[in-house]
Amino acid sequence: MSRKVDPITLSVIRGVLETTQREMTVALEKTARSSVFNLAHDYSNAIFNHVPEMIMQGQDIPIHLGSLIPAMKCVAGYFGDDIHPGDVLLHNDPAYMGSHMIDTCMYKPVFYKGELVFWTVCKGHLTDIGGPVPAGYNPAATEIYAEGLRIPPVKIFDRGVKRYDVMNLILTNMRARRDQEGDFNAQLGAVQVGERNLIALLDKYGLDEVRASIGELMAMADRQMRSLMDSVPDGVYEGKAVVEDAGHGLGDMAITATVTIEGDACSIKINSPPQVPYFINSYEGNSYSGVYLGVMMFAQLPPPYNEGLYRCISVDMGPKGTICNAKEPAPHMNCTTTPMETLTDAVRLAFEEAAPDHVSAGWGHANGCNIAGWDTRNDEEYVTMVLASIISGAGATPQQDGWHACGPECCFGALTSGDVELLEYSYPIIIHGYSLMTDSGGAGKFRGGSGTRWEVEPIDKPMTFITFGEGRRIPAMGAAGAKSRMVEPKVGRIEISRGGRVDLIKTNVIETINPGERAANMNPGGGGYGNPFARPIDKVVWDVRNRLVSVEGAREDYGVVVEDPETLKVDMAATEALRSQQAIAE
Amino acid sequence: MRTKYRLGVDAGGTFTDFVLADDTGNVRLFKALSTPDDPTKAIENGLALMSEELGTEPSKIIAECDLCINGTTVGLNALIQHKGAKTGLICTAGHEDSLEIRLGHKEDGYRYDAEYPPAEMLVPRYLRRGVRERVLSNGEVRTALHEEDVRAACELFLKEGIETVAISFVWSVLNQAHERRAAEIVREMMPNTFLTVGSELYPQVREYTRTSTAVTNSYLGPTLKKYVDSVDRYFAEHGARYPVRYFQSNGGLAIGQAMTDRSVYAINSGPASAPQAGLFVSAPFGKNNVITVDMGGTSFDITLTKDANTNLNKNIDFLRYRIGVPMIQVETLGAGGGSIGWIDEMGLLQVGPQSAGADPGPACYDQGGTEPTVTDANVVLGYVNPGSLLGGRMTLDKDKAHAAIKQRIANPLGISVERAAYGMFTIVNNNMVNGIRRVSVERGYDPRDFVLVAAGGAGAAHITALAREIGIDTVLVPKLASGLCAFGQIISNVKYNYMASAPLRLEGAEAFSRINKLFVEIEAQGVEHLEADGFERDRIEIGRSMDMRYVGQVHECTVGIGKFEIDGDTVDQVKDAFHQRHEQLYTYSERNNAVEVVNIESTIYGRVDKPKPPSLGTGVGADYAIKSRRPMIFSPDGEAVEGPVYDGGMLGAGDEIAGPAVIEETTTTIVIDPGWRARLHESGSYVLTHDT
Repeated sequence: MSRKVDPITLSVIRGVLETTQREMTVALEKTARSSVFNLAHDYSNAIFNHVPEMIMQGQDIPIHLGSLIPAMKCVAGYFGDDIHPGDVLLHNDPAYMGSHMIDTCMYKPVFYKGELVFWTVCKGHLTDIGGPVPAGYNPAATEIYAEGLRIPPVKIFDRGVKRYDVMNLILTNMRARRDQEGDFNAQLGAVQVGERNLIALLDKYGLDEVRASIGELMAMADRQMRSLMDSVPDGVYEGKAVVEDAGHGLGDMAITATVTIEGDACSIKINSPPQVPYFINSYEGNSYSGVYLGVMMFAQLPPPYNEGLYRCISVDMGPKGTICNAKEPAPHMNCTTTPMETLTDAVRLAFEEAAPDHVSAGWGHANGCNIAGWDTRNDEEYVTMVLASIISGAGATPQQDGWHACGPECCFGALTSGDVELLEYSYPIIIHGYSLMTDSGGAGKFRGGSGTRWEVEPIDKPMTFITFGEGRRIPAMGAAGAKSRMVEPKVGRIEISRGGRVDLIKTNVIETINPGERAANMNPGGGGYGNPFARPIDKVVWDVRNRLVSVEGAREDYGVVVEDPETLKVDMAATEALRSQQAIAE
Repeated sequence: MRTKYRLGVDAGGTFTDFVLADDTGNVRLFKALSTPDDPTKAIENGLALMSEELGTEPSKIIAECDLCINGTTVGLNALIQHKGAKTGLICTAGHEDSLEIRLGHKEDGYRYDAEYPPAEMLVPRYLRRGVRERVLSNGEVRTALHEEDVRAACELFLKEGIETVAISFVWSVLNQAHERRAAEIVREMMPNTFLTVGSELYPQVREYTRTSTAVTNSYLGPTLKKYVDSVDRYFAEHGARYPVRYFQSNGGLAIGQAMTDRSVYAINSGPASAPQAGLFVSAPFGKNNVITVDMGGTSFDITLTKDANTNLNKNIDFLRYRIGVPMIQVETLGAGGGSIGWIDEMGLLQVGPQSAGADPGPACYDQGGTEPTVTDANVVLGYVNPGSLLGGRMTLDKDKAHAAIKQRIANPLGISVERAAYGMFTIVNNNMVNGIRRVSVERGYDPRDFVLVAAGGAGAAHITALAREIGIDTVLVPKLASGLCAFGQIISNVKYNYMASAPLRLEGAEAFSRINKLFVEIEAQGVEHLEADGFERDRIEIGRSMDMRYVGQVHECTVGIGKFEIDGDTVDQVKDAFHQRHEQLYTYSERNNAVEVVNIESTIYGRVDKPKPPSLGTGVGADYAIKSRRPMIFSPDGEAVEGPVYDGGMLGAGDEIAGPAVIEETTTTIVIDPGWRARLHESGSYVLTHDT
């Protein structure tokens, strides 16, 4: 520990930074219009120092936080010396290290006694960003220009004066203007709350003490990650995961992560195929989120979280023009889930090779929907991403079954799906069901969490139903020998019921759903951990009793033969025979 | 008070506190060990202590009480230990899993924690039975109730030996018909089964919250019933003249039947009475903005009251279960005298939330504990007298405290034991300050506008340090601090919450008349309820609030409003109150945007006479009460100063003490930092102020 820093003051300053980040989050969540913000928590708040380095990462959405690190640097660099007290910057463009364009980010420089000392940053998923398809996800886009409004770094406040012209330009290009305006207000509230607290901190401890403590907090995170890397045997490890063809016809695509551990340093090299004219390309900023999340799924370090964690990690995203390091004009809107979750899986798998007992199973990937249409109740347009539709199952861990309904992987439990009544009140829809799904959790000694099924019908006007994501053929990855035989119930899919017929869809589509018709979005379960035939029989029976596993699933996936679905009596002899057969086969 | 006494019994986890107020303004505090298996046992033991001191029989004391009031943790404990009833849920088909999906969220603080378990289900999936029925968001029936599905659920429940049932349907708040019919069927098929109907218990928009609240209510009902029956019986047998009143988490009293039917109102009964007590002790000073902090052995409870209105929580996760009904907002931290200091993986000093509990307890208890606790730090700092805890009934080992801090904190950090002890003191205070920010700043209040009231046995040792950190310049420490919650209960009113949902824009005569009508309806219910409870009309008071938001927002602000008819003119008052609250909370308002209402609520109070306030005799000067001097540490560098120790029992009204000093009361120790002074007020509280 550095001599200069008082250990007690250090703990106090850490607490104040955490509280500040939290208060920013509360301010944003309680005031936002878009359900993607206020129900789904699809936003992130962070604090940066003057460098700018991220000094406080909260417990918000992992997909945003990795990309915030390069984005902040890029945006601050764009303005160089032209940053003044009272400025507020806005940005969404992936070409400037943004994630996907619908995640719009606000940056407020915090000045103290005339000096730039901090940045408070608030990033969130808006409900719309203009472009041809409501809510931004356009599976037909072959270029970024067909996906919405690109906002390079701009000032929306210049020395304390609001730039109405700039805001008007932006809002004029967005659907549901009132909601978007409300959400920008909410973001502004958050960065202002952050600024207020940081100034109070500086008034109390002075700049030197605060800086020294923050430096020490970052050094601690660095030491922590280094000591973990040091515990991994030196070597080169490889993880490979597949982005499945989600209907684009370009085939499956493999992403490889090569992790090299040397002493306490780690370098990660990503190898991905050339970018494609489909919305699953990830620009560099977003890919950082995928890589860092893969690292954190392995590291599972306790807070504080700051940029110090990544000092010992160098990342090479591969050549420009590939799906994990896309360049203009690659379309990209789906990138925060696809290919990011696959990229995360590749990195996680490489670490699994390095430290097999330390890594949890993969979570269900997002395959969800956006809805849009006309609300006759208030005679206005509506558009939203349906967060309930992407809540997948969590992966099992070396310690326990995966959480049900906690994903997707890229959000790691930070989302909330919103109450059925609030959603029906806000949008002219009927939600016919929101349920866990039998046999959806990956088989394992520890079972993966169950995915969810969300079924909707429009009340009185046709509804546009736009799907995105993947994970409809390849289930979430198991770990430590977990494998499922019944794959079909474990992957995502869409069912559209119209005129007595049910269409099964496993691709990304834009459909019109009429009143009287229904669309159900099924989101995958999480991966299991360990050999499923080693799962205790009573646990399997309990799952059967609760219809989390079917009688057939118990036999196929777990080698447990339930004689009677009523009494749940187990045929012990048949079970033993089945289970020992598998042991012999291996 | 028409009779001689009023008795408050606050059953906590370790101790049951008894407060006996008499008609001369005398308030006595007693403590007995809690007896969770048979709570009346502790009551009996407490009454034995009282009768010893007063020289009368327990039944005479009870017979002379105008009210016997009980706060209890039985509901809380049943929920913590998952020892509630075997419960079945009947819900709308397709929505059986809202309880387990829990909105798809994993609690913050555990984002990358692979071992954090999912919440245990109060009703497992196979006992959550969907029935075909559906009401839409405008209240219309889309699918009629399939009664055969309800019957099938009951048959399963009977087969499974279900003890209690909850019914909760989507949008039942806008159309209760289906829930009511289903309830009739359940009552017919399972006649003696405890039943909760969602729209009756919690008629507010939000299906998940309503279902979870109803399930929790059924889960706890039988436990509460058993408890209430035995306490009621005990007091009745001992000559009580009036039914026992129970304290609810909403900050008011209820009779036993209400406590049983609406058991979910009982889950945080104990600490919810702190605001009443805080207001009472602040009243002589003309203050009604009060923050109370109650620090015991394992936890630290914070409440906030602004303009005599206490922060309420609605729709929160309580012990990981979503609870809708209003509860006094009690922010609870793992920060008590027993909280353990430790060095985390990052090399940072942390305190709590783990606690050494009562066994083995802090190292200085010398019961085998080796972990350094806050109490150990307070002993090393010279704040707590090793020789005289609980009036000398317990002694502490200062060397053990010293050794534990040295080994676990000072040596690893390479600092002196004194610095380490002061560090632990600072960190635990900082945790508490952050907790106070959560109830104040996050709710849009500046804590500097408040009086800080210390409660609990351990709170007074930290109170001036906390006040300094937050910037509060007036602190009150009642002599009764360690039994303040029990005291709060005996000065509380009967209080019931009545709710209705009214999702509509606050525009136009139709909307106004709907809201007015709903208020009138729920208030009529409430008045009827209280009149049946024996309250005359002039003792019944009504408070109104509305949950409002801007169109398009999802979260509401609860705004208190006056009791008037809403019309084209008065609606501006309502909107204005909302805009102001929004600004206070979030730094801005949107006065040009439309406002909508989601839920409304009326709180119905039955006024109970207060006991006569205490009054102390005038003192003869503080010097008279100095009993010793000892080294005390008030500086981060660990340097000690010699400070006087006062015997609180010897001090009288008007006596004044300048810090650094310590005042020892029988059940609490008050630490006066340098720069602060304490003055004992005739109402029985020390007033601590900062020298300017």
